Amino acid sequence: MNMPSSPNNKNVPEQKNILSEKEKVKQQEFQEEAVEHINALYNYALHLTMNPDDAHDLVQETYLKAYKFFDSFEKGTNCKAWLFKILKNNYINKFRKNAREPGKVDYDLIKDFYHSIKDTQSDNEDLNAGYFRSLMHDEVYQALSSLPEEFKEVIQLCDIEGFTYEEIANMVESPIGTVRSRLYRGRKLLRNKLNDFAKKHGYDTDDEETRE
Amino acid sequence: MSAAVDGELTLKEQEGFEKHILTCTACFTEFKEAQKTKNIIREKIIRFKAPQSLVNSILKLSDTPL
Repeated sequence: MNMPSSPNNKNVPEQKNILSEKEKVKQQEFQEEAVEHINALYNYALHLTMNPDDAHDLVQETYLKAYKFFDSFEKGTNCKAWLFKILKNNYINKFRKNAREPGKVDYDLIKDFYHSIKDTQSDNEDLNAGYFRSLMHDEVYQALSSLPEEFKEVIQLCDIEGFTYEEIANMVESPIGTVRSRLYRGRKLLRNKLNDFAKKHGYDTDDEETRE
Repeated sequence: MSAAVDGELTLKEQEGFEKHILTCTACFTEFKEAQKTKNIIREKIIRFKAPQSLVNSILKLSDTPL
């Protein structure tokens, strides 16, 4: 993982379209560290924008910035978290103007979005989730989408993306205690919405432990 | 509670928590419910693949000096 950083910054003769040694190292590190998170970023962008084209642009801009400022990425820290933070900031700057009222959810928008993204995905050969599976999960998706933004966000970052509390706290710029309580309250809200789903799909039976 | 669900408790806290839910039914139920909710989200939210055009443009990005 750890690339030896090359300290030999000898003056490389100026050449057009050929990468300098330093740039080559940077490029390689960037490819190893950052590019692998593209699917996660794309999904996060989809959740934020609800629109495949906007998500595409957002991820592209995020990588452009990340590459440009890759020197400021602290090696050894979580690159995915760093990229998410850049994406989120980018999103806020770009979309704040027409942000919807928090807590208000346009279900038609979600439905449209869902269908459009499914259509996009059908072009992909190696789709890892089939249509039937995805249809079945509309319920869960809608339940999550209907949560107030501050709850939805932490649940996404924690449960879907697997970030630690510390990383989430940094991303949402709130203390860890706030993250913890938002998770608690968010899951509680979600649970009420998902109760029927859980019963229908057998989530009421515990997998490992026996119940009374 | 959420810290227990997410494995964010310290070893000592974890021990204390486990001891507690051994006898407190309310907290035990609460814990199981929260865990269940987390699992549903984790397993049921579909992950999409980034379109190939996007992947290509990003791979190309690091090929050119800025």
